Amino acid sequence: MERRIKNHPILDFEEKGYVTIYFEGIPIKAKENETIASALIANGFDIFGFTEKGRPRGFFCAIGKCSSCLVVVDGVPNVRACMTKVRDGMKVERQVGRGKPTWTEPE
Amino acid sequence: MKSYKICIIGGGIIGSSIAYHLAKFGEKNVAVFEKSYISSGSTGRCGGGIRQQWSARMNVRLAMRSVKLFERFKEDTGFDIEYKQGGYLLMAYSEDEAARFEKNVKMQKEEGLEVEILSPKMVKERYPYINTERLVLATFGPTDGHANPHLANFGYIFAAKKLGVDVYTHTEVEDIDVVNKKIMGINTTAGYFKCDVVINAAGGWSGEIGKMAGVDIPTTSYRHQIFVTEALESFFPFMAISFDGNFYMRQTKHGQFIMGMGDPDEKPGINRDVSFRFEREMAEKMVKIFPFLENTRIIRHWAGCYNMSPDAQPIIGCSKDVEGFCYAVGFSGHGFMLAPAVGEALAQKLIFGRPKEVEIDFLDIDRLKGKSFEVEGNVV
Repeated sequence: MERRIKNHPILDFEEKGYVTIYFEGIPIKAKENETIASALIANGFDIFGFTEKGRPRGFFCAIGKCSSCLVVVDGVPNVRACMTKVRDGMKVERQVGRGKPTWTEPE
Repeated sequence: MKSYKICIIGGGIIGSSIAYHLAKFGEKNVAVFEKSYISSGSTGRCGGGIRQQWSARMNVRLAMRSVKLFERFKEDTGFDIEYKQGGYLLMAYSEDEAARFEKNVKMQKEEGLEVEILSPKMVKERYPYINTERLVLATFGPTDGHANPHLANFGYIFAAKKLGVDVYTHTEVEDIDVVNKKIMGINTTAGYFKCDVVINAAGGWSGEIGKMAGVDIPTTSYRHQIFVTEALESFFPFMAISFDGNFYMRQTKHGQFIMGMGDPDEKPGINRDVSFRFEREMAEKMVKIFPFLENTRIIRHWAGCYNMSPDAQPIIGCSKDVEGFCYAVGFSGHGFMLAPAVGEALAQKLIFGRPKEVEIDFLDIDRLKGKSFEVEGNVV
């Protein structure tokens, strides 16, 4: 059985081609238009991060409510893997505890 | 019929602090009446800041005493209230405000308060995560700080109970029994209670409670809104605030950012609805000054009220018209931070005849009868 989300209660998944994203530096194949969570689960990654106390966290509510699936995407923490769609070349890291502040200096 | 020496109306931080201090100084024949639950009013909805940088000298003294009491809160009550002396950064965005800040700092230093003036460059060096564009000047008071208002409120109420104070929650005061200009008792949803003294600590409802006793309390309540973001790592120890910029913000112990601002168009009255307009305006403003908020989501949003007095300073004392009617009201958005000193001072006034640590006579209601009074300017 393919562990991949095909139908989602609030997001549409149009079947398209494949892109590559990087999870903890490992290139993985993701379906274009699917969420980060879907791609991670499909590729066998169940642990999306850890709490401050070191407990593993992962996919839970799947609809953006519970904050259990938070990951760091291209350096930005607190990104909901279950709601954020993949983008070719995206760098996803496991979030440990609360996120670090990030910002871009205004011009 | 139950009777008490003193009945306090209001189970917020003010009523709880007065109850705790009365019991601490020996007056245990006291009851607190709260129409909802403890910290259900303004206390539980406030930002939790504890500031000594005021524009009026007497307020600085009162706040400095409060900080002394916050410093030993845990020792006194056994409650950890997440008290953090991370400082207060006051940000001025106009030359006028900067000039006022410089004058205030001089006065605050005379009072023995630790406070320094920072240029925008110094602010940027110390706190690179702040956008200092348009900032004219800032002042920093390292002994200011913040705490969790719910925990502080519960700390006082549990400590008061332990000392023998009775607490009636979900009990509304419906009328005050006044005979020949003297307090006889109160009528509540739990029946009649005989008492000699009633203390109005009703926050947003202080005017209504005043009317029950036939005493005119010149306060008006206005809605103020706050929202809180998801948590980030702790890196923002101080409260940032601006009066002319109209905002304040702090990071909670858990890591969330709590922020609020005033709305000059707000109508008087108790209103606990929230508005999308506030959310949008607050977010747009804060993301510019604190750019790290751009990637941070809002998770909750609520409203409480400021109980405003005509000069934005509290009204504390006892009525000269109705014997036994006292009040600690009109805190104008800074009741939480003053509660320890005010509770102590009013309790001492009632038991010993006068406060021992800090003056509160200047906050008597009579000051507002004259035409001129000094308005406290350091209020958001």
